[in-house]
Amino acid sequence: MKLQEQNISKNNFEQCIKCTVCTVYCPVVPVNPLYPGPKQAGPDGERLRLKKGEFFDEALKYCLNCKRCEVACPSGVKIGDIIQSARLKYSRHSPSLRDTILASTDFVGSAATIAAPIVNAAVAMKPAKAIMDGVLKIDHRRTFPKYSSGTFERWFRKEAAAAQEKFDRHVGYFHGCYVNYNFPDLGKDFVKLMNAVGYGVRLVDKEKCCGVALISNKMTGAALRHARHNVDVIGKTVADAGNPVLLTSSTCTLTIRDEYPHLLGVDNSGIRDNVLLATKFLYTLVDSGKVKLVFRKDFSMKAAYHAPCHMEKLGWGIFSISLMKMIPGLQLEILDSNCCGIAGTYGFKKENYEVSQAIGEPLFRQIGEINPDVVATDCETCKWQIEMSTPYKVMNPVSILASAIDVEATRAANG
Amino acid sequence: MKTASSDGIYDVIIIGGGATGAGTARDCALRGLKVLLIERHDIATGATGRNHGLLHSGARYAVTDTESARECISENMILKKIARHCVERTDGLFLTLPEDDLGYQDKFVQACRASGIEAEILDPEEALRMEPSANPDIIGAVKVPDGSVDPFRLTSANVIDAKLHGAQILVYNEVTDFIFDKDRIVGVKVLDHVTGEKSCRYGDVIVNAAGIWGAGIAEKAGTKINMFPAKGSLLIFGHRVNNVVLNRCRKPANADILVPGDTICVIGTTSDRVPYDQIDDMRVTPEEVDILLSEGQKLAPCLASTRIIRAYAGVRPLVAVDDDPSGRNISRGIVLLDHETRDGIKGFISITGGKLMTYRLMAELATDLVCKKLGVTAKCVTAEVPLPGSKNESPEEISDKLSSVYANPMRASAGRHGDMASSISHGNEYDLSLVCECEDVSLGEVEYALENLDVNNLVDLRRRTRVGMGTCQGELCACRAAGLLANTKKCVADAKADLRRFMNERWKGMYPVSWGETLRENEYTLWVYAGVCGMNGHASSKTEKEAENEI
Amino acid sequence: MRYDTIIIGGGLSGLVCGIRLQKAGQKCCIVSSGQSALHFSSGCFDFLDRLEDGTVPGNLAECLVSLPESHPYSKIGAETAKKYMGEVPEFFAGCGVRLCGNPYRNSYRMTPMGDMCPTWLSLEDFPLAGEPDAKVADRALVVNIFGYLDFNTAFVADALERNGTVCRVISVRIDEMERLRMNPSEMRATNIARVMDRPEVCGKFIAAVSEELRGEDTIILPAVFGLASDEVLPKIRSSFSADVRFVATMPPSVPGIRTQMKLRKAFEHAGGVYLLGDTVNGAEMSGDKVLSISTSNFGDYRLHADNYVLASGSFFSKGLVAVPDKIYEPVFGLDVDYAGDRKEWYDTDLFSPQNYISFGVATSRDFRPFKDGKPVSNLYAVGSVLSGTNALNEGSGAGTAILTAFRTADLILGRVDSSKAGQSLK
Repeated sequence: MKLQEQNISKNNFEQCIKCTVCTVYCPVVPVNPLYPGPKQAGPDGERLRLKKGEFFDEALKYCLNCKRCEVACPSGVKIGDIIQSARLKYSRHSPSLRDTILASTDFVGSAATIAAPIVNAAVAMKPAKAIMDGVLKIDHRRTFPKYSSGTFERWFRKEAAAAQEKFDRHVGYFHGCYVNYNFPDLGKDFVKLMNAVGYGVRLVDKEKCCGVALISNKMTGAALRHARHNVDVIGKTVADAGNPVLLTSSTCTLTIRDEYPHLLGVDNSGIRDNVLLATKFLYTLVDSGKVKLVFRKDFSMKAAYHAPCHMEKLGWGIFSISLMKMIPGLQLEILDSNCCGIAGTYGFKKENYEVSQAIGEPLFRQIGEINPDVVATDCETCKWQIEMSTPYKVMNPVSILASAIDVEATRAANG
Repeated sequence: MKTASSDGIYDVIIIGGGATGAGTARDCALRGLKVLLIERHDIATGATGRNHGLLHSGARYAVTDTESARECISENMILKKIARHCVERTDGLFLTLPEDDLGYQDKFVQACRASGIEAEILDPEEALRMEPSANPDIIGAVKVPDGSVDPFRLTSANVIDAKLHGAQILVYNEVTDFIFDKDRIVGVKVLDHVTGEKSCRYGDVIVNAAGIWGAGIAEKAGTKINMFPAKGSLLIFGHRVNNVVLNRCRKPANADILVPGDTICVIGTTSDRVPYDQIDDMRVTPEEVDILLSEGQKLAPCLASTRIIRAYAGVRPLVAVDDDPSGRNISRGIVLLDHETRDGIKGFISITGGKLMTYRLMAELATDLVCKKLGVTAKCVTAEVPLPGSKNESPEEISDKLSSVYANPMRASAGRHGDMASSISHGNEYDLSLVCECEDVSLGEVEYALENLDVNNLVDLRRRTRVGMGTCQGELCACRAAGLLANTKKCVADAKADLRRFMNERWKGMYPVSWGETLRENEYTLWVYAGVCGMNGHASSKTEKEAENEI
Repeated sequence: MRYDTIIIGGGLSGLVCGIRLQKAGQKCCIVSSGQSALHFSSGCFDFLDRLEDGTVPGNLAECLVSLPESHPYSKIGAETAKKYMGEVPEFFAGCGVRLCGNPYRNSYRMTPMGDMCPTWLSLEDFPLAGEPDAKVADRALVVNIFGYLDFNTAFVADALERNGTVCRVISVRIDEMERLRMNPSEMRATNIARVMDRPEVCGKFIAAVSEELRGEDTIILPAVFGLASDEVLPKIRSSFSADVRFVATMPPSVPGIRTQMKLRKAFEHAGGVYLLGDTVNGAEMSGDKVLSISTSNFGDYRLHADNYVLASGSFFSKGLVAVPDKIYEPVFGLDVDYAGDRKEWYDTDLFSPQNYISFGVATSRDFRPFKDGKPVSNLYAVGSVLSGTNALNEGSGAGTAILTAFRTADLILGRVDSSKAGQSLK
């Protein structure tokens, strides 16, 4: 008779032994007393909610979903998942117009891109900001990420797609909304880097927004549709010669790999191992000697690396760091592990602005002390937050690598 | 209303602070008698607090014991009215597994209906929708009006009402002997376990409501009740896996009931005769744990991988039918003995047998006899008059009105105290701060209990508030509660010693299931209490009084 | 990725071993699944609080020879252990952690119950007493932060008064703390410390306590000061006319967490890689050698090293796992010393020695664990995953963690002849 070999129920909150470690590392608790904290909101609350749903507390919305509690937990409790699942299951608040706009990154993005110059000017104007602040409760101190005129996908089809087929080896690319609508340059850098090491890039066919903002804004139906669709289309890319699908956003990566099954119940087991951050994939190739990077002699930069919260959860910061450390002209400092405070759409909400900035304060202070040329980070929303809150420019490690390599020499070395 | 006698003379003295004793005290007080209740430990420490907490519909007894079944369904409906804050209307399912005889189901349903118990046959699929944790292999299911009842709350509410009507309650007082006047018992000798003082109390009628310990009481009175202690072990799981009571649809056997109660659920029981001299030291054996688990997972397969937080055992007060000196013929029904007619001892009656479900009926029968002896004609009203806590709003109604930030501690205390929760101070952040984080017990609630609910120590506090009943079993809250106890009782040394006893009492339920997370929890608890607090560095606690035999 | 040494577990033992190796020029990686038991520290390191007969050893070095051969200290050898004991204060100072106390003797600390307990070295918060019944002060002001429930002033004052100290208990309210208290559960040591780290708050606190001083010679405070800031503790100490003593609180432990942060920083500063929140879930073995390990986060990508150190802790940290019928070591499946009958795992009295605390992996005298009866050649076990000691009953957890880490690092570095390990005892 094999009884109780594992004390793990479907929801693993029972592994919590009330050690209080999670409460030490929650960035919200010290700055927002309205948030019950990860222990009460997570495993403690879950027991009470199983007793009666009325023990659900709407204050769980103050959770950033940064997962720092999960990284710290010595018991392996998925505290962040428990909190987000409870919101999806019990919250009676339906998303406001503001939340819907903030969450619909791809729909709003595609509309905005067409009219980019107008949108960019409009959201920057004072009357527009007043409307956003007063009516939509989007904080007026926020600068919206600029929309690019012309999407990454359009550039790729026009300028790059044909050349990709000349390569023998390929990787898939899930570019995400940010690269597509706001910052195609990161996508271009990625293509440049992969091409230089001998890989052609193929886009995932008709990817949708990963859905992270839909989940955090409780638009469960849309999030589910996106997740199922993405698992399907990524699956097709993977099935195509077993190519991995790479990303340049740590948050999209975590969402597709972990939030799909944990929060949305979408089975991604067929693709999970093949969904990777670009730096992890590239480092693995370099480490095994399959790929060589040759850097420009004239490259010189001082960078401070900020590991995004979701990168800490993935545990892959080391890959971005190790690749950057290979650049001879790069002086790299690693910032202390702190949350920047933006947490996607969270920091854009008027009610969260003060909290968001208070959370990020230690990070901003340390960046100022180091005074780098650029801050390096793998997450687009960390980039917005740091660029809004400090005078420093932020680059993705992929872009830093792309600008540091000697393209011709790298291409030759991997010929 | 008469107030408690200060000269130590009462109309009635009740021995035993379980549900029956407390219920009898309430009934007598409501009928205008001067009442004294004497309890050796705290209220609800015997079999009252050591069972499933199942609000029987009576279905379990429908086939084998029609009389019990009828009593249960009648009391079930009464308790749902008078003790709303102590019961939860969960409904119950009687499941037929492939290994069981489906033919039994028809017999069962007919017997239920004959006893006045609603019984509805459900499709297995429908039953699984109603309770997803049930074994998916079931071939039959019957829905009955089972529920859950919190025995601590129920007993406490009876005590509170008895006191409101003038009764006096002495806890931690033990009856050491009877005082006779010829063939009549006129009083009891009492030892106060807290102060060590001895005293005499006089009453016209003495009611023995001491459950299994009633045999010893009867012996002191010079007579004999043939009791057959039957040990029943149960396991508590860390959270609710089910919201509907699950039973097996077959003849009652081991581990065939899974009851959701407050934050947890309970599987039980085993049933074994134990010698009378062991009834004060009930410990659960590894073999019993294995039986409970292997049978329990047939009801709800997820139990095989659900964390167990404790094991505990109680003793059923089974009584031999009076005209059978061999004791082979045992009744599970209510036994009311008038020792005047039975043994020629005047002024002494015993109420025993029965079950938690029928405590009120037992109290009514005992009180009727007391009144008859005293020539009092007042009628019983306990079937109609709600208990304190259930007089005004229900916990659900209170909860619906809560909307402020951090309402959960208030919601939780309303669940525990019903409308009496309005006496708990939750006016500021200090009162709202949590002592017990697992069960959401606020500082305000702890102070309310310490001041108003006859709390002598941390174990009593746990029975009134659920402090320390969550998955950490006191690790975070015990030290906080001990600090508050020290402030209220103004005795720090007692509070420290009590903390030690409390942690040991928690361990008693944990060690039979000490593996997995429960062992981890204990290691962590030891680091904190033995390590950081240095509580293992003193005189070996072996020399101290062993932890009380508590749940 | 290839390292000289990979250490599984990032608590006291793993970090000490990693720092020693890294400072000696090795390239190390620590994989830690979550935060460590330092988070519940008493603020003191214990070495050997009690002998088997319950007596408190005064001279620690001398009593080592009386320990059974299976004890980790015996495996290190009395002479080497003594040498290591002497090195401990300097080692920690090098990591920014100042320790008080005599490294060769037991002293006494005040527990949260107010009692005096034997201990070895204290993190700087906790001045130690030489005798268990030493009078701490003539007159003491015992201070709490209003509404903080994890520090029982009554317990502390009661114990002090029994030794003749006149105590006055006060609790201090500060506006910034009131804000924290809006949350019913987060008035915890670390959250208070975080607020106190702000100079203006700390200043207000000092002013409030100063105002209350009525000639007391000692102020007793809960250890809720100086989490991330190094300035708070010296400031508190120097701001009063009276002596300041800190008493450990219920978890989380501010001095413990500060120590964890400093050690991790020292390790990373020396070039070590610390992977937090990742779990080693398997190892590839060949004969008696570990070739590589895999982790939850890295998936197919395996980590390689010449040597491996298992510093995964006991049950709490899941270095050992108990199921109803057995106890096992989950990473390598090493041989574990434990009692087969579950009834032998525990004592029914909570505060008596619990057998299960002494269960752990079996090792050779040079801390190489056994698998299927044979030692693994490039794997070492350190700290509380080891068998041979009941760390709680003995009060030897930190000492075992630090000394076995030193020893293992030296064995890996070839600073000692492993064939002679433990020989000095015989």
